[in-house]
Amino acid sequence: MHHGNHFYGHAHVLAEYCGLDPADPPRIDGYLQHGWNVADGLGGGTPYAPGLPIFVWSERTRRRAWSMGRPLATVIGSPFLYLMRSIPAESTKRDGTIWYPFHGWEGQHVSGDHQRLVDEIVATEAGPITFCLYWQEYRDDRVRAFYEQAGRVICHGYRGYMRMQTDPRFLHNQLAELRSHRRVASNRLSSAVMYGAAAGCEPAVYGDPMRLASEDLATAERVRREWPELQGVAPDPATARATAMAELGDGYLASPAELRALLGWTAAHRAASTAREAA
Amino acid sequence: MIQLIGGEMPEYAEELPSAGGPLLRHLAGRVPTGSRILLAGPHDPELVAALAPGREVTCLLRSHPDALAQEHRAVTGVRILCGTLPKITDTDRYDAVLALDGTTRLCSPEGPQLDWLDAVRALKRVLRPGGTLLLTVENELGVHRLVDPGTPTAARTGDAWRPLGEFGDAPGRPDRLAAALGAEGLPVAGLAAAWPLPGRPTLLVTPETLRYGPVDALGALAAGAVATAYASDRVLSDPRRLAGAAVRRGLGAELAPAWLAVAHRAPAGTGSVTLPAVLHAGERAVAELVSTPDGAWLRRTVRVLDDRPAPPDQPLPPGRLLEELLLTAALRHELPELRRLLTGWMVALPSAAAGNVLVDGDRFALLDPGAPDCPDALTRFARILATGGYTHPWQAVTEVTRLTAVLAGAAGRDEVPDPADPDAAEPAADGLREHEEQLRALRRRLDNAEARSGFFEHELAKRDADLGRARMQIAAFSGGLGYRAAKVGLALARKARKRLRNGTEDAP
Repeated sequence: MHHGNHFYGHAHVLAEYCGLDPADPPRIDGYLQHGWNVADGLGGGTPYAPGLPIFVWSERTRRRAWSMGRPLATVIGSPFLYLMRSIPAESTKRDGTIWYPFHGWEGQHVSGDHQRLVDEIVATEAGPITFCLYWQEYRDDRVRAFYEQAGRVICHGYRGYMRMQTDPRFLHNQLAELRSHRRVASNRLSSAVMYGAAAGCEPAVYGDPMRLASEDLATAERVRREWPELQGVAPDPATARATAMAELGDGYLASPAELRALLGWTAAHRAASTAREAA
Repeated sequence: MIQLIGGEMPEYAEELPSAGGPLLRHLAGRVPTGSRILLAGPHDPELVAALAPGREVTCLLRSHPDALAQEHRAVTGVRILCGTLPKITDTDRYDAVLALDGTTRLCSPEGPQLDWLDAVRALKRVLRPGGTLLLTVENELGVHRLVDPGTPTAARTGDAWRPLGEFGDAPGRPDRLAAALGAEGLPVAGLAAAWPLPGRPTLLVTPETLRYGPVDALGALAAGAVATAYASDRVLSDPRRLAGAAVRRGLGAELAPAWLAVAHRAPAGTGSVTLPAVLHAGERAVAELVSTPDGAWLRRTVRVLDDRPAPPDQPLPPGRLLEELLLTAALRHELPELRRLLTGWMVALPSAAAGNVLVDGDRFALLDPGAPDCPDALTRFARILATGGYTHPWQAVTEVTRLTAVLAGAAGRDEVPDPADPDAAEPAADGLREHEEQLRALRRRLDNAEARSGFFEHELAKRDADLGRARMQIAAFSGGLGYRAAKVGLALARKARKRLRNGTEDAP
């Protein structure tokens, strides 16, 4: 279906969980939610083919999707939690903060003062800082230089586009990095902060939230109002983690067999699709 | 011998089934031997035959052909009066009058047309003091009426020359029925709500039990009773759902299809026929549910219906009905609870229908141990979920086979059950409301499919255009000199564009 299903290697993670070849995930009968959002689970502007399910992370998102005229939203939980389930945490020492500066996606550009943000982060964080940049900013020498002066700078990989150059280990890299840090932070509440909280980091959201070109700020404002327990330099970690886990769909993960049946990955279903294609 | 008392119907044979079935046979059999009994109205020949030994049975039938058929059966001890109820005289008095078919088929077109109260008075006249009256009263607002696509006041049967429906004077509630009979000098000794159909109950429950008894189990029994009776019938809405919900929500007695009253002609009767709290006729046996001193309920077999040994008496397990818990969790979109229930069910009782399992915490037990095995229980539940008009967490899955696979996965099973044979599906009531819902769903799917087809056409056009451009580029760049010239030109163009962009971004 939509190439967004392959972003961050989500389809690959689910294929592995389902006992299928992670290098070649079968076509999914619907759309995977590929990032935390406050809409119907689909990214803004994702072209949606009507009548197909959106596989959303949480029950709250499903209810919202229903209210937005998307009754076929189906809760499966986030691929990140599936990955966490299949890679148990090792007791490594956690240190410092992994910081995710808010980024734009392909074709979007963030405006804001990177230097001022870096200064604020350095003044706030006690331990070593790892900056994780989105590939777009990571490749931009100018932007990267702002962060390199203050800490280690990494990129989890390229999320892929049109199923090309997808780094299927994106989430694996992210999970490993998160598990080696004590804190996770960003200037906007995002998937990364949720993942970090789920992976055992103390989350924080502070600093200049920056601004996307032509962004509607009402949504960002709504996020701050609706999820106050995750905002600030040091929100209560237990409360924040409970919210993050709920948003990621903790407790709602499907079994491999259930997921195979939902995504159209059972042997019978795939054989029928192959037969249709052959005809 | 047939005695023509007047007003008989020489040509007409009853079109609708007469009262009978194992439960009524069992009850009628409780009338003491040696009694003189009047069976008023059409009763099943098996019931007549079961009642006759040791008793003096008189059948009152308005239809002459039916009277002849009964005579032809030559059951010893059975006398036949053929004619209309007003013609019956009180020269004969009976120890018991059984009107298990109710009072609507006692009068013929000839002579006075007795409404319910007058019919009761006429029956009372032939009852000796202290004698027993067993009377079925149809509830015009019973579940069977509520789901009936036909209108009782415009019935087209040959005996509907005066169809009154809810405009008749029969009482509309069990307490009013008891009061009305009491006022006529027929104090009621027992009263029970009956499912699934007035003349053929398989479940009798007293109103007190419906109020204070195990309502979930009773709701399940009522739902099960109507499921069997309405298999493949056309109905307005699923009677199973309505009957179960009515009992659970405290309206069981009020919405039951009929009430069965046991009354005695004053002064006090002998009390030979008593109604237990619950009387249920299953596949193999008639059983009573009786309460034990510790507040639990015991299922006691009172009559075996086949040659096999009687099912042993056993306690009714506590808990709520699995099917209702599953539907509730599905409607609430509580996936963790839904998966817990499905898993527990498939581990404990994989071959029991969801409508025959009681759940108490983590314990899963059979409601009716005598019910036949149901190896495709999961598929059946998938069908209920898909076609019963229920929202559930897997809205996009519309085929029963695929939904079954999802349920199996949610139940912790790794293998996908074999696709069910559609012909093997158990017959279920054919509800207009469910049809309407399916029609709506199909329209929605069709709209979606059309929109999707447009969406894909648009996508295809875009990809075609991309492909065309790519082909042109390949053609342009595949030559020797032309290729190099184009490459240089393109590199220059890119450089210029980059410079232009950087210049724009650097501007203050």
